[in-house]
Amino acid sequence: MPLSAAMLIELERIVGTRGLVATPEGRMTYECDMHTFYKGAPDAVVLPESTEQVAAVVRLCRREHVALVPRGSGTGLIGGAMAPVGGVMVSLTRMNRILELDFDNRSATVQPGLINLWLSQATREHGYYFAPDPSSQMVSSIGGNASTNAGGPHCLKYGITVNHVLGLELVTGAGEVLRVGGKVQDQPGYDLTGALVGGEGTLGLLTAVTVRLLHVPEGVKTLLASFSTIDDASETVSAIVGAGIIPAALEMIDEVVVRAIEEGIGAGYPKGAGAVLLIELDGPRAEIDEQSARIVEMCRSRAALEIRVAKDEAERALLWKGRKEAAGVFGRLSATWLLQDAVVPRSRLPQIMREVQAIAARHRLVIANVFHAGDGNLHPLILYNDLVPGELERAKAANDELLHACLAMGGSVTGEHGVGLDKASSMPFQFGDADLAFMARFRRVFDPDGIMNPGKLLPSHPACGESFRPAAPRLPAGTWV
Amino acid sequence: MSAPAVEEALAEIVGRPQVVSDPATLSAASIDGRQPRWLVSPGSTDEVSRILALCSTERLAVAPRGSASAMGLGNPPRRLDLVVDTTRLTAVLEYVPEDMVATVQAGLTLDGLAAVLGKHAQMLALDPHGGASRSIGGVLATNASGPLRFRYGTARDLLLGVRFVQADGTVTWGGAKVVKSVTGYDVPKLLAGSLGTLGLIAEATLRLHPAPADTGSWLFTFDSGERAGDLLSAILASTLEPDRLAWLNDGALRGLGLPSATAALCVSVSTVPEAVKSQGATLVALGERSGGRAITIPAALWTKLGEAFDAPLMLRIAGEIRGAARWAREIESSASRQGLSVAIVGEAGNGILRVALTGVIAPEAFASELVAPLRAALHGEGGSLVIERAPLALKGAIDVWGPIPEVALKVMRQLKEEFDSLGILNPGRFVGGL
Repeated sequence: MPLSAAMLIELERIVGTRGLVATPEGRMTYECDMHTFYKGAPDAVVLPESTEQVAAVVRLCRREHVALVPRGSGTGLIGGAMAPVGGVMVSLTRMNRILELDFDNRSATVQPGLINLWLSQATREHGYYFAPDPSSQMVSSIGGNASTNAGGPHCLKYGITVNHVLGLELVTGAGEVLRVGGKVQDQPGYDLTGALVGGEGTLGLLTAVTVRLLHVPEGVKTLLASFSTIDDASETVSAIVGAGIIPAALEMIDEVVVRAIEEGIGAGYPKGAGAVLLIELDGPRAEIDEQSARIVEMCRSRAALEIRVAKDEAERALLWKGRKEAAGVFGRLSATWLLQDAVVPRSRLPQIMREVQAIAARHRLVIANVFHAGDGNLHPLILYNDLVPGELERAKAANDELLHACLAMGGSVTGEHGVGLDKASSMPFQFGDADLAFMARFRRVFDPDGIMNPGKLLPSHPACGESFRPAAPRLPAGTWV
Repeated sequence: MSAPAVEEALAEIVGRPQVVSDPATLSAASIDGRQPRWLVSPGSTDEVSRILALCSTERLAVAPRGSASAMGLGNPPRRLDLVVDTTRLTAVLEYVPEDMVATVQAGLTLDGLAAVLGKHAQMLALDPHGGASRSIGGVLATNASGPLRFRYGTARDLLLGVRFVQADGTVTWGGAKVVKSVTGYDVPKLLAGSLGTLGLIAEATLRLHPAPADTGSWLFTFDSGERAGDLLSAILASTLEPDRLAWLNDGALRGLGLPSATAALCVSVSTVPEAVKSQGATLVALGERSGGRAITIPAALWTKLGEAFDAPLMLRIAGEIRGAARWAREIESSASRQGLSVAIVGEAGNGILRVALTGVIAPEAFASELVAPLRAALHGEGGSLVIERAPLALKGAIDVWGPIPEVALKVMRQLKEEFDSLGILNPGRFVGGL
């Protein structure tokens, strides 16, 4: 339902003329995140510049029973920052300042729209950096990272975003400005900071984030090992982790993706290998020297075709360029694909990768793999051509089988992308009714009227209050939910 | 239901021998002087569930208890009918060493788990002081931590999944059994440190770490706190990667039989032997440059730190990391003004100081001359002072947690109201009287 003229005037009064987007073509820009499958343009977009403006927008929407959808850079992969039931989208890109750098306390406080990489760029010359590094880090925002609890290659050693968030300022769905945590640790009371990270905008809107900064390590060593089969590479991953070595990152890239990377951006990856492992160690030099020697030995004993060690920062950057920009070359493989983010216990990696290949063969599809092997977080990319009748259906069937295979091994639906609209219907596969009811009640405490990002994260939004019932999602025909 | 009928119902759930109602045992199970009417020891999550369902129906106030070592934490309970003891819940439910994850029952002790993990050269990186005999459920519910938090974090970083029993008996699962998951809200974060006020933790899935190949430990003693603070800053600004970084004052040093000094930093480095050697050399050079005297100490000292400051009156102070020297000095001078002796052991790299006070202090002086001024100063930088243990008379004089910001407390109240509307889980003991 379009917003009333009176409401648009009130929104404009809060955020100013330049802070309001209400034209059809303007709103269209915000109709999806990186999961372009799901489209839903908001009825208006506001671009606030302060916490007070955000709070005023939330209070207005609450009064008018209008849905609110937060958005950072829009690089999410879950149909999170889009508006399936319309309403007001709050784009936080203008709130992109660093509020405080406090190296003595190893922390920084930033506005939610700050680009992830900018923080590390601003702190590196002082010897510090922000560890969470989703592949989108050159464009994704820290508010979005905290909201989805984003991961990245280096969370194998350093943990996902929540492990680096010390405090938050959040405008709740009730329109209150809640400040929790901060650079001083161990605040008494419930750990609301920890529980709010990963809320995907269903609990409120983040307006400031205090994060932990880490000191740049003494040394970094990056290795690339190629194998003739995915099986050899998977066994090597299990051996490394099983030996008690926790690399900073341990990534696998299969033949299909290596080929696309080489054709697309030319990172110098070995062509023809069945799988490549990108392994990074960081820490005291004496430690990484010893560990890399052991890893090289493990790769050799599992028939590695070639092992390369980056000689300098330029070589290291090139090895990472291929991995970080892999998503960008997916388009070379296929215009349409489904992307999984499921997790398996790490000892099950060889088994699940054989299963991935079997599922691909069974459904006559190509499944490309580039993922965080060290922590068992898969990213199978199921390629399909929507012009071929029946292929989408086969892709969906393969996707479901894969997810269930991961869960049957004791895994999880999503390791780092989040739930959003995309995986809300998968939640009951992992959680029972009582577990979901607990989450719904938790949500209701922060969003009493059910206006915050409705339709996301939980299967049927049972926390929805009587006063607000979202209309049926306006999804394009053929959308799978 | 009459008291005998409740007792009968409890016996039906857990078996007669697991329901204790003899006065001597109950008296020993008192919390801040309040004696429970029963002490029950369930043998399964299902039994916990049935007990809480009964308590819900009968409006009986429940206090969960593990090893009973942290029962002094919290304000005195408003009501207490039942202590639910988890010490029979000691199973390791799932453990695949290659996954570096274990799922255990809440009553398992830290050393019980360590014995299992040690066979595979793995560990749970939680080392609260006074602690190997503590139950994992208790450690999680109280968010207890120790020096290892400098590298590995606290319960919020190590608790991957949790099975808990809500006030009405509903068995609920949150989180995941894999090291990386963002599926749904992070319920384990809500349970960690919640002091059993939202549910009773029955099972925990924990992230494990490889036991380090080698460890070196050093003690640096200083004739001024500022110089110890200088070394702390120098370490934090360097590429050294210690796993433990503890602040000790003279009272703690003497309690441990170590050389007396105004202040000391105790540091350990755990990695491969070559790196322990090279990091150790750098560390000693930094320490001497800051004017410290370095000695190597046995790693066993780390497990003894808790003994140095075990006292009936204990505080936990959280402030800015850079403020360690200043806070240590402030505490020492306030304590000496009150005629108390003080031992401080802190996780200095995290801004935490643990304080043990010995001596006699009147409740009024404790509240208004010792705690209140420190709290006011700490609040200025977002810090806190929690009274972790105190005689009842002192607890009566001041809230042990200190004030919580208004909006945050309102949300915490709403959460408590949502999940324990009858107020049967540890009523009154948590922040804001929750």
